[in-house]
Amino acid sequence: MGEAIYQSFVTFNWWGLCVTICNLLITFLIVRKFLFGPINKMLEARENEVRELYATAEADRTAAETMKRDYSASIANAKEEAAQITANATKRAAARSEEILADASRQASDLMRKAEESIELEKKKTLNEIKDEIAGLSVMIASKVVEKEIDEADHKRMIEDFISKVG
Amino acid sequence: MNGPQVYFEIPVLKGLPITESMRNQWFVMLLILCLCVFLTHNLQKIPTGKQALAEKAVVMLNGLVDSTMGEGCRHYAPFVAAIMLSSLFGSLISVLGLRPTTADLNTTLGWALIVCFLIHYSNIKFHGLKAYLKGYLEPIFIMAPLNILSEIATPVSMSFRHFGNMAGGLVISTLLLSALAAFSNAILGFLPVPLLQIGIPGILSLYFDLFTACMQAFIFSMLTMAYVGNARS
Repeated sequence: MGEAIYQSFVTFNWWGLCVTICNLLITFLIVRKFLFGPINKMLEARENEVRELYATAEADRTAAETMKRDYSASIANAKEEAAQITANATKRAAARSEEILADASRQASDLMRKAEESIELEKKKTLNEIKDEIAGLSVMIASKVVEKEIDEADHKRMIEDFISKVG
Repeated sequence: MNGPQVYFEIPVLKGLPITESMRNQWFVMLLILCLCVFLTHNLQKIPTGKQALAEKAVVMLNGLVDSTMGEGCRHYAPFVAAIMLSSLFGSLISVLGLRPTTADLNTTLGWALIVCFLIHYSNIKFHGLKAYLKGYLEPIFIMAPLNILSEIATPVSMSFRHFGNMAGGLVISTLLLSALAAFSNAILGFLPVPLLQIGIPGILSLYFDLFTACMQAFIFSMLTMAYVGNARS
């Protein structure tokens, strides 16, 4: 290799300009294709994703709000229903207890009446028996006293008259 | 002070030279390609590490383009990024010991010419050819030569600003290096290496290579956005 050739310090030539211009254009294409292209695409993709995310979140929030409103409404309904059920039950229970009480008192009065009736009956029966007994006794006593047979039927009638007069 | 070295000439026309600047431009392009592929490799929905960095950069550039050029100019963002990255890496490769591509007038002028084309293209597209041509006669027709001159001055000023800054840094760094070599030789001549060359140029390099490189890349892309955005409004 011979002596190194140098251009002058401040030089101008069309060939150098052309090469530089081509180089810059190629550099421009490189930067556009390999740096700005992918990065801009990525930024855009991310922006879209974020936007989508926000939209989804907004939709979710709205849905949750609606659901909450529904739930509050149904809970309020449930409370009302519960109060109504309780009121109904109380009313029913009160009615039932009154019914039971009335039943019981009715039964008690029935029993009393029956008892009174049976007592009355028994009393009458006993009275009749006593009457018979007394009549028999009287006849017997009278016959013993009089010492003579008399018509028992007549006597009986007389005694009964007597007793009815007495009693 | 030499210009870029010529490696060989393609034997067509009068010989098309392949220079150091071109080689370094291709190196920078490869670097940008690798960086882009690395940053956008395996993108995830939830960004981590390098992806967060890349996204931040893209969002920032998009925002910068939106705020400087107005709405609806998003498709210019990759172009602005390309200019910014080319300029930044083209200047920063001087840190690796390579000749910065931006210290070659052809590089910066090439970029400025594309920007110039975009300015006029946007102007014609948004205002129509008639209004565009009429714009040269504002405020009165006598101003036409001056208007044309100012249009020509735009790419020239852009390219010379960038080239001048980088080439100036290169010249000063080289001068300093040789001065330090001479100085070192004079007072520490018994040593086999120019000891003073260690460290001191690095401090200057912080300004001329790092700061100026970032600054010029930013200025060039900001001017691109401002000019093209202005042509659209």
